[in-house]
Amino acid sequence: MKWLLPVLVFLPMACGPVSYLIGRRWKEGRDGFVLGVTGVELALVLVLLLSPELTFVWEDFCGLGIGFVSGGLHTVLALLAASGWLAATLLSREYFAHVKHRNRYYLFWLFTLGATVGVFLSADLYTTFLFFEVMSFTSYVAVVQTEESEALTAGGTYLAVAVIGGLVTLSGLFLLYRQLGTLQLSEMARAAASAEDKRLLWIGGLLALVGFGAKAGAFPLHIWLPTAHPAAPAPASAVLSGVITKTGVYGVSVLSVTLFLHNGAWGTMLAVLGAVTMVLGAVLAVCSVDLKRTLACSSVSQIGFILVGLSMQCLLGHHNAFAVTGTILHIVNHSLIKMVLFPAAGVIHLSTHSFHLNDIRGFGRGKPLLALVMGIPMLSLAGLPLLNGYVSKTLLHESIVEYAALAGAGVQLVILLEWLFLFSGGLTFAYMLKLFFCIFVEQNILPDKVTRKKWRREGGYIAPVSAGVLLVYAVGMPLLGALPNRMMEPIAAFARPFFHGEAPAHAVAYFSSVNLKGAAISLFIGALVYLLGVRPLLTVPGRAGRREYFDPILGWCNLEYRLYRPALDFLAKTLLIWAVFLDKIGFRLLFRGLPAVFHRMCRWLSDQRGRLVYLLTGEPYIPRPSLEQAVTDQHFGLYADHPHVERGVMHSFAFSLLLTGLGLAFAILFIFLRL
Amino acid sequence: MWMLGAILLPIAGGGLLSLWRPQNETARQSYVLGIACLTAVLSLAALFTQYGEEPTVFLHLGGHLSVALQVDGLSCIFGAMVSLLWPLACLYALEYMTAEGGENRFFTFYLAAFGVTLGIAFSANIVTLYFFYELLTLVTLPLVMHAMDGKARYAGRVYLTYSMSGASLGFISMVFLLQYGGSFFRLGGTVEAAGSDLLLAAYVLGFFGFGVKAAVVPGYKWLLRASVAPTPVTALLHAVAVVKSGVFAVVRITWYGFGPELLRGTWAQSVVLAAVLFTIVYGSSKALGTKHLKRRLAWSTISNLSYILLGVALLTPAGLSASLTHLVFHAVLKIILFFGVGAIHYKLHRDFVPDIEGCAPMMPVVFSTFTLSVLGLIGIPPLAGFSSKWLLAIACTSSKTLLGSLGAAALIVSAVLTALYLMQIVLLAYFPRQTRTISVRMVPKRARQDPGLRMTVPLCLLTAVSLALGFGAGAAAQMISDLLFG
Repeated sequence: MKWLLPVLVFLPMACGPVSYLIGRRWKEGRDGFVLGVTGVELALVLVLLLSPELTFVWEDFCGLGIGFVSGGLHTVLALLAASGWLAATLLSREYFAHVKHRNRYYLFWLFTLGATVGVFLSADLYTTFLFFEVMSFTSYVAVVQTEESEALTAGGTYLAVAVIGGLVTLSGLFLLYRQLGTLQLSEMARAAASAEDKRLLWIGGLLALVGFGAKAGAFPLHIWLPTAHPAAPAPASAVLSGVITKTGVYGVSVLSVTLFLHNGAWGTMLAVLGAVTMVLGAVLAVCSVDLKRTLACSSVSQIGFILVGLSMQCLLGHHNAFAVTGTILHIVNHSLIKMVLFPAAGVIHLSTHSFHLNDIRGFGRGKPLLALVMGIPMLSLAGLPLLNGYVSKTLLHESIVEYAALAGAGVQLVILLEWLFLFSGGLTFAYMLKLFFCIFVEQNILPDKVTRKKWRREGGYIAPVSAGVLLVYAVGMPLLGALPNRMMEPIAAFARPFFHGEAPAHAVAYFSSVNLKGAAISLFIGALVYLLGVRPLLTVPGRAGRREYFDPILGWCNLEYRLYRPALDFLAKTLLIWAVFLDKIGFRLLFRGLPAVFHRMCRWLSDQRGRLVYLLTGEPYIPRPSLEQAVTDQHFGLYADHPHVERGVMHSFAFSLLLTGLGLAFAILFIFLRL
Repeated sequence: MWMLGAILLPIAGGGLLSLWRPQNETARQSYVLGIACLTAVLSLAALFTQYGEEPTVFLHLGGHLSVALQVDGLSCIFGAMVSLLWPLACLYALEYMTAEGGENRFFTFYLAAFGVTLGIAFSANIVTLYFFYELLTLVTLPLVMHAMDGKARYAGRVYLTYSMSGASLGFISMVFLLQYGGSFFRLGGTVEAAGSDLLLAAYVLGFFGFGVKAAVVPGYKWLLRASVAPTPVTALLHAVAVVKSGVFAVVRITWYGFGPELLRGTWAQSVVLAAVLFTIVYGSSKALGTKHLKRRLAWSTISNLSYILLGVALLTPAGLSASLTHLVFHAVLKIILFFGVGAIHYKLHRDFVPDIEGCAPMMPVVFSTFTLSVLGLIGIPPLAGFSSKWLLAIACTSSKTLLGSLGAAALIVSAVLTALYLMQIVLLAYFPRQTRTISVRMVPKRARQDPGLRMTVPLCLLTAVSLALGFGAGAAAQMISDLLFG
């Protein structure tokens, strides 16, 4: 049975090249094959879910050997990945009907699936890192699939963050490995507890956090996410946002439950990071005027919520039942919700060829199916009761309230965090309202007649298969949300051992007045922001008396272009200038200067030749023509590739003579000394 | 006797070729491949049958000077690597050189260099090593100057100058080793005397002298000049055989001559480590600023050779086995990269990074193998470069010296730079910014394809080897460590 684990990881990877070969001859066959592989993958993960906890170790693989483990969070995340991939593959067929480079896309699609499952099933940080890096590189191809200029730029940023983050993580792992002597998840907690130098442990942990945090999209390394996710084709952005960001969350969770289990300082740091990410992402999303960018920024914000949950899990110590459950469920919920919203955005793009809110405005009018499919996840993410998003947000909120009750000195800060949490939840509602009203209620600036013609697509705006898939997801959400104790808590209970979490002391009353009050405050803030902020402030008067959306943020505060790129540029330039300086001056001094002195000496000696000869022999010196000629022989430097060679050659030749001479002199001196 | 056969056969075979001068391509091809394969078989036979035997003395030069051959663990690693790569490189060169001309002269020296390199691998004492080391310079000089135009001659002269200067420094070191050390190399060193400053100075001179071939600062410039040589030479000699002979010689004097005990914790180790660390970062940052493909790879080689020397200079067993692992892995990866660049030059006549924009779809085999090696060299797990760098970094962090720990930092910085300067090539080739048609239209139709089988087969085989090395890195590293330390 334990062979199931490596099969899950390597089967898609092995099938990738096969799909490529099939696709060169037979396009439909390839699509079917890829669908089959993802289907088989999901079936295998389901088998994994039912079987007991498995472990698999492959010694020697790639140096340190890799290990996989199932059960707990590992299986839940693997299930999310496999189901997400299956759904996205089903949706790809419609989305990619007329796209080039599909073979390449599917090849890396399957590679990425295998690597992602590999990250989730990893039993040690080494394996995690290994598949993490593979995944970063293979998913790059999905980001630049369209090969448009924006996509290439976004892909470049994505790759740069992935590579630099990955290497920083790697250096953290070196330190941790040296400190702990192991990177096994099961042994790290104990090793960390008994480590002598806590400071080094912290440095290692923080370095490791950089790469994982960057992949999750946490502030301040979220910069790649709002550009890369929109640049990818819709099915790919669905898994990028829904599943691949979770690999980063997985990495951060691993650090939090092994190295820093129930560590208050680590929890505080995560809380600060999470709070900033949460608010920042939400603000960016409210301001954005691009459908997919809004969704991507929303992902940043939701990752912030998850990080806050993780921080509470650390801060609350052994009483972290709410925090653990909330974190797990929010990971699951966010994944499910984004798996619907991104493909739905893709559906809109198929007809309108745009993601800009002003262009797609009013597209959803008279399309109840689309309204249903998009409305439910939007409201769910905003935390409307009876939907699944409400459940996880309530639990996270509860955990903050719980910590506020426990916290002694810094209680004001915890209350601030609670209000930031509610405020971000409100902003979530605000930008979802903005999207919903824009797409389904408002009228386009162009008259109906024009848009109807412009947006017409052969065979309806959505293919039946895509509609079916999206509907399954959308209908599942109220089901999950209405019966949280039955449907959602088992998931959390299954994953809980990973976090060393404890079961709640009593059943949670999700729909009690206290909990509903939190959601109500949040939704009220959201409605207020929408009515008083978004509608009057984020629109400007446009054509035909209708207001148009505009983005007040783009341009003037872009971390990437204002800080990171100039900083990197500066760093690279300094390095280069330093290198050139050494090249031109340092080495020239050594290679040209020293021989030049030697050469000058020789020249002086040869000038004094007549006098020397006269002194020694008493006869006047008559230079022989052949000797004199050799000194000025122009042919000596003839082969050079630049005009100043003569000197260079003379000097470097002189240099070799100098060294040879020095060597012989040393040797002779030594022999004299010895004898 | 196998050893002597393996050394003499290619030298004699090369000589015969220069007398015979076949004009028929098929005849030359079978002859060259036959000699190369036979030599490889002889050398592997020597490795398998004579491993661990006492040194065989062929010539007494008086005193305890002698010419002697021997197969020990280090010879096994270096000899096996060279023997496996040479026939493949010959196959590649046979097609590549059809475009360059002067094949008979070329293969005369190409084969002879094989024998000389094996001589370095099998040498049992410093005198033999020094002899073959000097011979290698002379034998490879005509290969560097093959094109015989201004640039090539200049490069040849620079190469000669640097090598001779280095050898003269190495000579000093040799005198000391002969005076204080034993007759033959022995793991752990043969110098019995207590470490005086004079001995340490001799070691430092030897390190930088033999380090000239390993392109460590300050003796690295010849490698850049030498990139004017035909690609099979750059690929095999300037990424594997010659430069790694330099590394090999440094390992010999460090671990088998002066001995780690003598050097550990002294100023000599600090000087050497500082130079190596500097070269790692310097080479990578220069590579980033170089537009010429072969020169960029040459800078990368300079940086990577210093990775290997870093492991050697840590003076810990873990460091030595990590560095030899990287020696093997880097050899395979870098030879693929150079072969790829050579194929681009051969088919498309493009030598600069911006010129290969959008060229990848034209040559799928070349660029896919190139990409895999790039990823390996950057150190993307689970490909080959990752595990060797991991081992090196672990050896660095556990060395308990400040410079050693800085080594891990230098590795990381260099890895970032490697990613930048190598990924740029791949990304440009696969994802062009301008419309692909403009770039491609300038290429004649018949050039828009992979080169012939003689070039693609070595590429594919080597890529398969590199993948196997990456996946089986644990076993490979274990084997290398077993060979070294018994």
